[in-house]
Amino acid sequence: MPKIIIDGQEIEARAGVPVLQAALEAGMNVPHYCYHPGLAVVASCRLCLMEMKLPHPKTGEAVWAPKLFPSCQTPVKAGMEVRFESDKVRQNQQRVMEYYLLNHPLDCPVCDKAGECYLQDYTESHGAATSRMVEDKHKNPKKDIGPHTLLYSDRCVVCGRCVRFTNEIAGTGELAVTNRGSRNEIDVFPGVPLDNPLQGNVVDLCPVGALLDKDFLFRQRVWMLRATRSVSPVDSRGQTIFIDHNEHGIHRVRPRYNDQVNEWWISDEARFGWHHVHSADRLRQPVVRDGGQGAAVRWEELPGRVRQEIVQAVGEGDGAGVAVVLSPMMACEEAWLLARCVRELAPRATLALGYVPVRGEDESFPRGFVIKAEKCPNRRGIETLLEHFGGATTDWGGVLHQAVEGAYKLVYVVGGYPDEWVTDRRITDALGKVERLIVHDLFSSALAEQAGVCLPAASWAEREGSFMNCDGLIQPFDRALSPLEGVKGDGQFFWELAGEAGLYRAARVRERMAAELPAFAEVFVPQGLPRHAH
Amino acid sequence: MAWETIDRRSLSEDELGPGLSEAVKAKIRTFFDRYPTRQAVLLPALHVAQDAVGYISYRVMREVAELLELPPAKVMDVVSFYTQFWTHPRGKKTIVLCRSLGCELMGGKEVLAALKEKLGIGEHETSVDGEWSLMTEECLAACEHAPCMLINEKLHKCVRVEDLDRILADPENDKIEVVRSDLYDAPREPGSQA
Amino acid sequence: MKHVGVPNSTSLEVYKSDGGYAAAAQALRMKPAEIVELVKKANLRGRGGAGFPAGLKWGFLPPGRDVTYLCVNADESEPPTFSNRVLMESDPHMLLEGILISGYATQTTVAYIYMRGEFIEQFHILQKAIDEAYAGGYFGKNILGSGYDLECYIHRGAGAYICGEETGLIESLEGKRGWPRIKPPFPAVEGAFRQPTVVNNVETLACVPHIVSRGVDWWLSLGHENSWGPKMYCVSGPVQRPGCYEGPLGITVRDLIYGEDFGGGMLGGKRVKAVFPGGLSMGVLRGDVFPRNAGAVDPKQDYDELDCMLDFDDPRRYGLMGLGTAAGVVVPEDVDIRDVLVNVTRFFGTESCGQCTQCREGSNWMRKIAGRLRAGAGRLYDLDLLEDISNNMGMMPGQSICGLSDGAAWPVRMLVQKFRREFEQHIAAQDPEAAERVLREINPAAYELPIVEGRATRSVGGTFQVPLDACGAGE
Repeated sequence: MPKIIIDGQEIEARAGVPVLQAALEAGMNVPHYCYHPGLAVVASCRLCLMEMKLPHPKTGEAVWAPKLFPSCQTPVKAGMEVRFESDKVRQNQQRVMEYYLLNHPLDCPVCDKAGECYLQDYTESHGAATSRMVEDKHKNPKKDIGPHTLLYSDRCVVCGRCVRFTNEIAGTGELAVTNRGSRNEIDVFPGVPLDNPLQGNVVDLCPVGALLDKDFLFRQRVWMLRATRSVSPVDSRGQTIFIDHNEHGIHRVRPRYNDQVNEWWISDEARFGWHHVHSADRLRQPVVRDGGQGAAVRWEELPGRVRQEIVQAVGEGDGAGVAVVLSPMMACEEAWLLARCVRELAPRATLALGYVPVRGEDESFPRGFVIKAEKCPNRRGIETLLEHFGGATTDWGGVLHQAVEGAYKLVYVVGGYPDEWVTDRRITDALGKVERLIVHDLFSSALAEQAGVCLPAASWAEREGSFMNCDGLIQPFDRALSPLEGVKGDGQFFWELAGEAGLYRAARVRERMAAELPAFAEVFVPQGLPRHAH
Repeated sequence: MAWETIDRRSLSEDELGPGLSEAVKAKIRTFFDRYPTRQAVLLPALHVAQDAVGYISYRVMREVAELLELPPAKVMDVVSFYTQFWTHPRGKKTIVLCRSLGCELMGGKEVLAALKEKLGIGEHETSVDGEWSLMTEECLAACEHAPCMLINEKLHKCVRVEDLDRILADPENDKIEVVRSDLYDAPREPGSQA
Repeated sequence: MKHVGVPNSTSLEVYKSDGGYAAAAQALRMKPAEIVELVKKANLRGRGGAGFPAGLKWGFLPPGRDVTYLCVNADESEPPTFSNRVLMESDPHMLLEGILISGYATQTTVAYIYMRGEFIEQFHILQKAIDEAYAGGYFGKNILGSGYDLECYIHRGAGAYICGEETGLIESLEGKRGWPRIKPPFPAVEGAFRQPTVVNNVETLACVPHIVSRGVDWWLSLGHENSWGPKMYCVSGPVQRPGCYEGPLGITVRDLIYGEDFGGGMLGGKRVKAVFPGGLSMGVLRGDVFPRNAGAVDPKQDYDELDCMLDFDDPRRYGLMGLGTAAGVVVPEDVDIRDVLVNVTRFFGTESCGQCTQCREGSNWMRKIAGRLRAGAGRLYDLDLLEDISNNMGMMPGQSICGLSDGAAWPVRMLVQKFRREFEQHIAAQDPEAAERVLREINPAAYELPIVEGRATRSVGGTFQVPLDACGAGE
């Protein structure tokens, strides 16, 4: 790790990064727009300029060079000395900030970016209080450039991040800069809208409020939001995200930097894959059906009731007639609690991996971003647990096959999929034969209607736990929202089912799991970056 | 209005404008082996296309993008950067008047004002009869002949206001006498195809 | 430039009859490194504007490369320069011979002549010359039996000043917008199509055959220290004989305007007010003796600047950025200096490529201010503002990627500094009420809102009505 001196302060930088990145990672507030660590360096905003000591051409002594250098384009070199705290640098920053505002509409009161806008932040910290321009501003138009995105080009500072993103990361190249000079605008070719599976990232990338997400447009002021660290359940990649929410629910999902998985980006599926949480169709009330008519039941009665069902199904036997279907939408901790509890009551019970939704093929992008075809977050986690518990294990197909054969007296099916998944009549036909069917799911389905006990599940945003992604990386996610009224968190229910008192805490369960499964002793939490460090 | 949003997601058949004939496409392809990348053919291709169609329509951009295996936005990017490419129809003859310092000192401003009055059009406009289009360019690099202007291909030197009537009336005012290379064509009548 | 005016000077036959391509034949018998040495020894400095030694540039090419591109910069767009045009339309084969020799010296595989799109006639002339040269065996495979192969193509630009910047040119050649690239890597290492590339001006390359055939001693007999060799000068504006003339480096601006072999004096005997001696971007010289301070002319500090020598060093003494293209445009005494400012700022405002913030926004802001000054709504403060803006852009202070920004700032700064008193007089002569009306038209918003400190004209830097006495510095 090369040591460099910034403003008289010695810092250790990662080798090969630009000085700007080193300064940002050291927590310094160096203004910049065009630079982004995930994109090519263009050094065009000229805001991150710094002074640098170079050997004097005659004496060889290290002196401050007369010109300014772009810190985003200058790689760190051991022993180098640079400074941002100087009149020259500050004057440049002040001027550039003034230039940015020359034609900016200053419509912060109606701008979604307000509160997290680099233009606001840097004007506050580095800009001048007033503008010296008395001429009229020119106004670029507002454009509808894609199914999810608007471009208010009057707010644009032409940093070009979005254009580079579509060229380099998405590889689709829908965006381009048009015109020349101060008439520069970002645009799409008419009729070829910005529409690729990663396009939402351009909104996060935009340092100002030029690119706007229609999904979030005028929805909330960002300072009213709380960010919760989470992992997206939309595919098996385990993209780490922030859920931005408040008492009214989720408002948006943003990428959370993860050097191992998704870096700075997320797929649109992950970005928009939360609307089911607030769906009006969700199950909200546990129901018990004793021959035909269903009746509402209180949650307090349910742990006992379910245990009783299992015990009755086991009867005098060893529990071979019991099957539990662990959904790949479940967290590892939840699955572990349920599986352990059932195996205690029915030692020879079958543990099964639930339905694994797969759509199409894996989709790869030029710089290595992958959208997995497997649309569930925790298949590998469940498989790891099945292997750990051993005994009778099978998969979803196996369960259905055995059910048709009449092998089961009781089947406990956990669902939790965001969309309709009981679409095949074979599922209902097979499980309809089972005497005692327990279904634990988000939405009503033909299967849920057959169930003797139907439990409403909580969505991933209302739960906590960890997912093991397709590469075996275990990543924890936090609870953003309280479960919907009438719903109990799945983990809490399994905790109570196991006879435990108090609250379910994923970390506590993980500690217990680690005693048997060392892999769970440590989970991967990507290191966050300082604000503005990207 | 500033609060209205322009729709860029769709493009109607009318807005697409004319496209390229097979012959023009074939001509563009002859440039392929001159450059190591397809994208580098873009400028020659646009010149050839503009020679043939008269301007660069959206359809032309799309077809050129297809030929050169580029996203169409990249073609639009380049077209809009360079002042010589027109994105709307031009008249039969385009006057490009120099407005750099040398020409301005020698009376370029007066010539521009007279041209605007005589043709009844402003800059980047086309006369109603489709005969004339007018634009100014920063420097035509013919400062010793200031003020100068191009009519299509022909450079008119030391243009004085009183010469304008004669120049505009001359049917041969846009023709040059040189041994032509066949790489780029002389401008055609609008609408006609190579 | 010896063939201007010779009938059929563009044809291969005429060129050869006068010893043409003999230098090429001679060069192809030498080793490439020997030619590079020769050019280094002659200290051939680039004729395009920056004056970078060509031999040194060639020396930066990495050894052991397979592909090398030579880009010939024929995107002559710096007003009021036209020497390349004259050279290409009258002596195209001299350029082609230069390309061949330089191409051989740098082991170039393909040469692209990037020619600005406005050169239409010249394109056909040069293309015909290239066709002839191919037919004559000067391009193509195994040139003159030397085993050296070189292809040569013309690439036409389409109207962008910035494409005369070497990396902007390369980007444009690659079919992109002409946004200059960040350096390093320099083109010699990674240029066109990510391969080693040499970019040279037309005139620079046209010098090479003469260095080869006439020798370094002949070359060093022209010009003086650090500025050797002949140069093509252009002069335009209201002079008797506007045109392009060849002379040794180091003639004075006065020679250029009044010399019998050059401009031949001013039209109508007018006096010179100002001269842009190296293209607009290099800055301006005062042609008149305008007192710096109010009152009488002080011979110690008030002098015209026409004795500036046109070589690579002397212009800097007069505050110019450099020699530039050695193309002078003369502003006569009866022209309003505000018109000149408007023209200059409009040029750079239009031609700024829009990549770096300072240049993109600054050049257009200056254009707006100049327009307002011209419309009779100037403030004294605007002069300071113009200087301040121009002091905050440019590659030399590190604020931009390329030198266009310096070129946009320099003439504005020079104009404001050197002609400040004239601007002040104009401002003082404004009718304040009319000025305010103009400003209202320009930006109604500034007036319809409550006046905020710094937004309104009156609060920043004073009013429209300024007594002339108050403008002079310290008297």
